Parts: sequence; C-alpha cells; structure tokens
Amino acid sequence: MTDTEIMNLWSALEPTTRRRARIEDRVFEWLDASETSIAAEWLALLKVEPLTAFAYATVGAVALILLTPIGWIAGFLLR
Amino acid sequence: MMAATMAALSPVRPFFRFLILLSVLFGGDAEPLEEDAVLRLVELARAGDRAARQRLYRQHVQRVFRTVRGMLRSDAEAEDVTQDAMLTALTSLDRYSPRSGTRFAAWLTTIAVNTTRRRFRRKRPELTATGELPDVADPDSDLANDLDLARRRGALLQALAELEPREREVVSLRYGSDLNATEIAAQMGMEAANVRKILERARVRLGERIEAIAKNRGATA
Repeated sequence: MTDTEIMNLWSALEPTTRRRARIEDRVFEWLDASETSIAAEWLALLKVEPLTAFAYATVGAVALILLTPIGWIAGFLLR
Repeated sequence: MMAATMAALSPVRPFFRFLILLSVLFGGDAEPLEEDAVLRLVELARAGDRAARQRLYRQHVQRVFRTVRGMLRSDAEAEDVTQDAMLTALTSLDRYSPRSGTRFAAWLTTIAVNTTRRRFRRKRPELTATGELPDVADPDSDLANDLDLARRRGALLQALAELEPREREVVSLRYGSDLNATEIAAQMGMEAANVRKILERARVRLGERIEAIAKNRGATA
C-alpha cells in the first residue's frame, strides 16, 4: 500500500456525526460555563427557578451565620 | 499584551468575522485552511472571538480524533481524549507561539499525544482493537457505504493493534495528523532518520496485514 492509500484509509477512523456533535457540545458547554460569572449563573437561576434560588440563598446565608458558633462549640466540647 | 493584540487586529476583525460567517454558511469549516489563516483564527480566538474559536475547533477536531483513535483501543476513549485535548488547547491558546516554527496542528497534536499518554499511564491499554462498528449510523450515509466503511475501519484497527506501541504512535501522527518526519521526531524526541525508518517498516507491515485481512474476509464471505 502506498502512503496516499494509507492516508485515505485513515479517514475511516473519523468520528461519526453524532459522536462529533457530542464532543463539540461538551467542549463548548464547558467553555461557556467557565466563562460565565457566578453572579450571572445566580441571575439565570433566579429567572428559571426563583423559589429554588431563594431557598439556596437562604440555606447558604443560614449556614454562614451558624458555622462560626457551631465550630466554636464543637471545638470547646472536644477539648 | 492582550490590549495590544486587540488593537492590532481591530481594523481587520470585522473583515475576518465576515469571512468566517461566509465560510460557516457554505460549509467551509470542513475545508482545511492555510497556516496563515489558522494563525489569524488563533489571534482572534485569543482576543475573545467565539466564532473564531469555534472555527478553529472545527478545523482540527477530526484530525485530533483520527490521531488518538489510532493509538487507543476504543472510540469511547478517543472521544474522551479528544474532548480533553481540545479543551486544553482552547483554554491555553496564549501558550502557543508560532515564532518557534511549530505549526498550530503540530502544537495541538502534542497536547493530544500528552493527553493520550496520561491515559496510558492511568490504565494499561489492551491491544485488542477489532474494529468495532460505529455506535450510530451516520444519517447522511447509506447501508452499503456504512458496511464498506466498517470493513475498512475494522481491517485498519486490527492491523494497527498488531504494531508495536511506538510504531502505532508514529503512524498515527503521520496519517492521522499529517505530520512530517521532522515534526514527528520533535514530538517523540527521536532522530528524523529513525522516524523515517519506523514509518517505512510500519507502512509495509500495515499494508501487508490489511491486504491479508481483506483477502481472508473475501474468502469467508
């Protein structure tokens, strides 16, 4: 077989259309996600799921407020 | 640095954007570009042009898949490696320097080969490639074409599985990425003359095996 014949044969290894689309979707989803700020993500979530966004924000705020005293009490008890 | 690049590109950007749009509309993404055009796409992509980045991706993704498929045992592994390599390349465009004399395709191939090697280190490869059929038929092709493609694919993968790992890597870089012996030598840390010898030997072995496999299938059919 010649160099050109093997080169042509190698094209049989190319991905199927569906596989190519899947790779492209994943790559560009990842790139878009990495370029989107957290504030923009929160705004998007607020638009799509306002109640869930509010619940997440509440749980986050409560956790932040409670974390320090709980840690302090746990540290005191473990001594 | 980025601001300087953007300023230098600003007069030409609308023109290239227009060219890219035309090219995408008329299916030009599949047409291989000259190195100068690829470098312009790299500059635009670095400056944050998403269309240029997508064009750059579409220009090279099949080449990366073809190359790593020759080295790996399955389409699924090749898919993962292609995805990782393309992501690494597109997020590290600032590290690519054409001044070093390296073509963009060769730089991208280095990333793909390193990603493949990392995978080899993590998991011992099984050299049992038997040419699995594509998972889903291509909607644009007919059954006869699919069968012919699957046969050729199977024969090539079976022949590749019988090569030494180093030979497989060399032929994958040559025929999958269209690199020349000097570029392959730089990639693998070998002498170009040595690469030529390996290529010639592997080409003969591949040819003989593929013809033998085709004859066997013809006899059993």
